[in-house]
Amino acid sequence: MFFVNILNNIKKYSFLTKQLVMRDFKVKYKRSVLGVFWSILYPLLTMAVMAVVFSQMFKFQVEGVNYLVYLLTGLVMFNYFSEASSGAMASVVTNFQLINKVYIPKYIFPLSKTLFVGINFLLTLIPLLLMILFTGSGETKCIINIYYLLLPFAYLCLFMFTLGMGFILSTISIFFRDMFYIYGVITMLWTYLTPIFYDITMLDPWVQGLMKLNPLYNFIDFTRVIILHGTMPSAHSFFMCLALSVPVLLIGMIVFKKNQDKFIYYV
Amino acid sequence: MVRLTNVGMKFNLGIEKSFSFKELFIKTFSFKKKKKKTEYFWALKNINLDIKKGEVIGFVGSNGAGKSTLLKVVSGVMKPSTGKVEVNGVISPMIELGAGFDVELTARENIFLNGAVLGYSEKFIKEKYQEIVDFSELHDFLEAPIKNFSSGMIARLAFSIATIVNPEILIVDEILSVGDINFQEKSRKKMQEMIDGGTTVLYVSHALDSVRSICTRAVWLEHGEIKMIGDTNEVCEAYYKQEMKN
Repeated sequence: MFFVNILNNIKKYSFLTKQLVMRDFKVKYKRSVLGVFWSILYPLLTMAVMAVVFSQMFKFQVEGVNYLVYLLTGLVMFNYFSEASSGAMASVVTNFQLINKVYIPKYIFPLSKTLFVGINFLLTLIPLLLMILFTGSGETKCIINIYYLLLPFAYLCLFMFTLGMGFILSTISIFFRDMFYIYGVITMLWTYLTPIFYDITMLDPWVQGLMKLNPLYNFIDFTRVIILHGTMPSAHSFFMCLALSVPVLLIGMIVFKKNQDKFIYYV
Repeated sequence: MVRLTNVGMKFNLGIEKSFSFKELFIKTFSFKKKKKKTEYFWALKNINLDIKKGEVIGFVGSNGAGKSTLLKVVSGVMKPSTGKVEVNGVISPMIELGAGFDVELTARENIFLNGAVLGYSEKFIKEKYQEIVDFSELHDFLEAPIKNFSSGMIARLAFSIATIVNPEILIVDEILSVGDINFQEKSRKKMQEMIDGGTTVLYVSHALDSVRSICTRAVWLEHGEIKMIGDTNEVCEAYYKQEMKN
């Protein structure tokens, strides 16, 4: 019954969701000369900056892999998470004008934001593909393999986790506006606690153990095993990805649903 | 069609203050433990109302009497704190025109966006697109971002989108005074057409003349309660007299 309801709602409001996603897309690229190309350029430029800083200045190396691809696999996924979760957090507050005037299911706003950044994310896979094809040599050369078919699994887990976080964050931020600032700091901390430019084997064993509970580490590691090493991720890896995403999404949905009727008094 | 039973709507006036970080900090560490003072405000109290199909109900009352809150409760934007709201039929809310517009987008893009917000399907908007444009008479400005529009033009566009459906229940909050004289007349005609077509209308206005001319029944709200309900002329008369006395 509950799921039938959800499906009906998705069908009923899919046009609205599509329109909201398109709105974000149009507004984002309006008036910029390069438009959509920024989605491709931006991760490449960030990667270039990080590569120069860490491999040239700090002489960072991750043994036996193509460091540029290593950076980019982590970057595209982390950037998706941070952009989508903070966008989703603000979405209910910024669309208050609408919520206050017309009845619309409120979950549409975090959902459409997460989807919109998702389109952007798919575009950032283009530069990743380019780096896989054109960089590295000898044993650090990445080879496209059959396990690439498993990549959508990791991306789906990332999406579910991000959406769940979006629900939780948007609920908190409505009652407690300071969350916008606090979350900015949390994201910064999270950037360093996620092995984007370093490898976790460089850390103490107990820190490594802690790190493995970081959902983003699990999703990123899943894709790195496939892209950098060309091997099948372990069963444990599959399990961790699911265990750290599905419950977060469910908790997010419950928290959001329980509180949504109160939103209107606080925004 | 629409039935309100014992509906009450409570607002917490203290909410704004008690949720800043500073306040929380002070509260947590202050020595004087003051009791949290909450002030409640009942925007609606004990509203019982039964609206039948095809009725055109006018709501009158001074500012802050609860008219808009009542419409929001009926349209589902707000859940009532007490009581029950039953609605049978498709509602088209015209509480504030153009609530779903994005000023960065063009008029054409906004027709689709706003249509989606009002719950229309993609197919429906595509079919009715030309009709909406024709009614708004904004043919020359379709590709311009609406941040360059005048408020009258925005109102025209919004009214045209909102009235393209034949809703079973129409909720109208002070909108007929938009646009130039030509468009006012046009929108009044459109409203009358919908009423003649059997649409139930909940109508809020301060213009007693327009309430008298279109409504079949009137409700006078004061401080969130129904003060008088009945024949349009009698209610308007009584309300007008009281307002003049103060």
